[in-house]
Amino acid sequence: MAVHRGRGVAAIEYPTGMNQNGDPSQAWIKLKPDGRVDVFAGTSDIGNGSKTIQSQIVADTIGVPYDWITYDNSNTDSSPVCTGTFASRATFVAGKAAEKAAAKVREKILEIAGKELEIDPADLEIVDGDVLAKGAPQKKITVPEVAAAATWGHGELITGTGAQLKPYATIVDPETGRVDLPPHSAISYASCAAEVEVDDETGVVRVTHLWQCYDVGKAINPTLVEGQIEGGAVQGLGLGVLEDCYPYYPSVDHRGRQFGSYLTPGMEDMPRIDTIIIENPSADGPYGAKGIGEMANNGQPPAIAAAVFDAIGVWVTELPITPERVLRALERKAAGTDGPQRDGKMVRYDDELSVNSVSDGGIRFQVG
Amino acid sequence: MKAVGARVPRYDGIEHVTGRTAYVDDVRVPGTLWVKAFRSPVHHAGMTNLDVSKAAATKGVHAVVTWKDVPLLEYGHLSALGIPADETLLAKDEVRYLGQPIALVAAEDEETAVEAVSQITADFEERPVLLDVRKAFDADAPKIHPWGNWYPHFEGGMDRRQIRKGSIDDAFAKADLIVSGVYRPAAIEHVPVETQVCLAVPEANGRLTIYSCTQALYFSLGVVAAHLQVPLNKLKIVGGTVGGGFGGKVDTATETMCSLLALKARRPVKWRWTREEEFLCSSTRAPWHIEIADAVTKDGWILGRKMLTLHDSGAYARFSPYGLTKHSFHHTGAYTIPNLHFDGYVVFTNRVPTTAMRGFGVTSVSFSTETHMTRVANELGIDQVEFRLKNANRIGDTSPNGIAYTDPSTVPVVQAIADAIGQELPAGYRTMTRHPREGDLLPEHLVAQLGDPKEHH
Repeated sequence: MAVHRGRGVAAIEYPTGMNQNGDPSQAWIKLKPDGRVDVFAGTSDIGNGSKTIQSQIVADTIGVPYDWITYDNSNTDSSPVCTGTFASRATFVAGKAAEKAAAKVREKILEIAGKELEIDPADLEIVDGDVLAKGAPQKKITVPEVAAAATWGHGELITGTGAQLKPYATIVDPETGRVDLPPHSAISYASCAAEVEVDDETGVVRVTHLWQCYDVGKAINPTLVEGQIEGGAVQGLGLGVLEDCYPYYPSVDHRGRQFGSYLTPGMEDMPRIDTIIIENPSADGPYGAKGIGEMANNGQPPAIAAAVFDAIGVWVTELPITPERVLRALERKAAGTDGPQRDGKMVRYDDELSVNSVSDGGIRFQVG
Repeated sequence: MKAVGARVPRYDGIEHVTGRTAYVDDVRVPGTLWVKAFRSPVHHAGMTNLDVSKAAATKGVHAVVTWKDVPLLEYGHLSALGIPADETLLAKDEVRYLGQPIALVAAEDEETAVEAVSQITADFEERPVLLDVRKAFDADAPKIHPWGNWYPHFEGGMDRRQIRKGSIDDAFAKADLIVSGVYRPAAIEHVPVETQVCLAVPEANGRLTIYSCTQALYFSLGVVAAHLQVPLNKLKIVGGTVGGGFGGKVDTATETMCSLLALKARRPVKWRWTREEEFLCSSTRAPWHIEIADAVTKDGWILGRKMLTLHDSGAYARFSPYGLTKHSFHHTGAYTIPNLHFDGYVVFTNRVPTTAMRGFGVTSVSFSTETHMTRVANELGIDQVEFRLKNANRIGDTSPNGIAYTDPSTVPVVQAIADAIGQELPAGYRTMTRHPREGDLLPEHLVAQLGDPKEHH
């Protein structure tokens, strides 16, 4: 009896935005009389950090400090449409809407600043809350002064709206699956390596180390990106070795109904995690960003399954890789009944799980 | 100072870590009633003689609602896309999973609501149960829906999602090896710290304020308005701050039912699911059954992939057709495979309907295809990292549905992970790029699949 070490890798990709698109997000922004910025958007923040990300985008796009931004996504009366926080779309789609709204606010600030300074708005820029003449920064007016002038002098509201929508790819050829438009807003890529220890007496798989590399386009907020990647890693670990609503699937017996009988990863399960971020900008995302929220739990399960094989020489392809499944696979290996069926150039793994073995002829998986 | 790219503090971080964020359950409105559900006690049955009269007459009960109270009983998750609904908001004369909501009670307090629910009766004529997606197609399989056991509404009236590219027969004929395997990622729970919760408040002006933990304010607004058959200005959804969702709070699980009770009782009502309800009655990530056969050459090219996916949707379709489509569009993973034959079915079973969860549709495809990639590499005696780099998608290659990739990053992320784990790559792999194929990396079998990346930009 011994503990065996193994390592496996996986590479994955994931689309940003709703599949086939057609999922709008909108934002509107207004300035208070002292230049502070109110952003209204309908994007729920489920912990993904969209309040922060959209505020950062608005701050830089207008040219004011981050802490000038107030972000309100609290209700459907004041906030415009956002399809929702799913499909890894909040940073890309909703963030793009906020960027467009902020660009209009910037234009309006420059227009009023131009009147105040008697300079063509095209010759002005906004830097850290000040409107400056390009090349002559001593000629300036602050954004608070512009907002005050708009309110009390010009009788105007500085505001801007923005919307992002990629048209719905309506045509999917039913025979071939070919589409008329790209069904995604962008595609993100990642890789994962897992190191595991497998105890061949207890069957317990312990994930000891995860290395992960993500191309995020642009990390709008590196801390939040790392949070997504590390949080996703924990969920991927749960998928890989712990969690199952139906432990004897397809049976519905033995469902966990409380935390004690449904195992989610805890701190004691945490491996060492090393994160590498690559920035390969997307063509259309705000500041080149892509979405990675969802894919963050997709790479670990296959890397773990490969690492388990590397450690003990058996494949467990039903998730999660529980001690029971590991021990049964080791028993088959000891009995010489594990491994694929070989027939000419055919190599068939997992025959016993196939529809060909279980279905009474209703469905087949015909190969060759 | 630039904010984009900076590690600025999370906008709502201090509130979260000091426990001062107001979630739905923190909202207190005087006179709020408690909600409890009467749920199906069986997996599959015909239902008759639903009787809520004793519950309605219980002291302290202000409203009971059943299917009769819903202005538009059937409104599907994908109705806005023209996909027919298959699920009633509250069960009418059939139940298809254990825990399916049938009736709801709003009462002065939780104990009274529980007591009233225990007074509700119905007759259930139990039916055979279908749980194994692999048996759903058999002649003697229990029938779940009148139209059958799998979703019939893909484009062109197709009962499955198909991908066809190149010639799979050609690929199998030319292959040195054909490797097949079966992959079964499990159903898992979203396990949000905040269970499903909703507070619906009827306002003096006739509007309804709905405090919701939805991940999708406007999607939920549309769903509630459709069921209630009211214009959007009659409803105000308050939310935007969610105590954990992961996909499980896209479904509008509670908002419509609370709205019906609030309107009927003319009192605010709150429904907060217990942890046990969250585990047993809320939707889960789907279990999937996936079979893959890859046609490969001795020197490590993947010529073709045949794949069969059975997506266990549970009792109703909800978002599953969307998830399966996304699954099919990504079934080559991060690689270029020129010959494809994919069939996928959304299969109904007598379990809690499944729904979106982080990685929806693709988590299953990533697990199955990536595990298969390593198996194939091992069969060929080729290093698993080199096998991935060799077959990695590149600019100008095309996706399963014929879209040219404009900026794939498989090559750089795989090179980076090799570097991270200290694996030395041979020179040809170390210098590989994501740029369009040429020379040795453009073998004859990859010529026909090439597309124009400018066309899809």
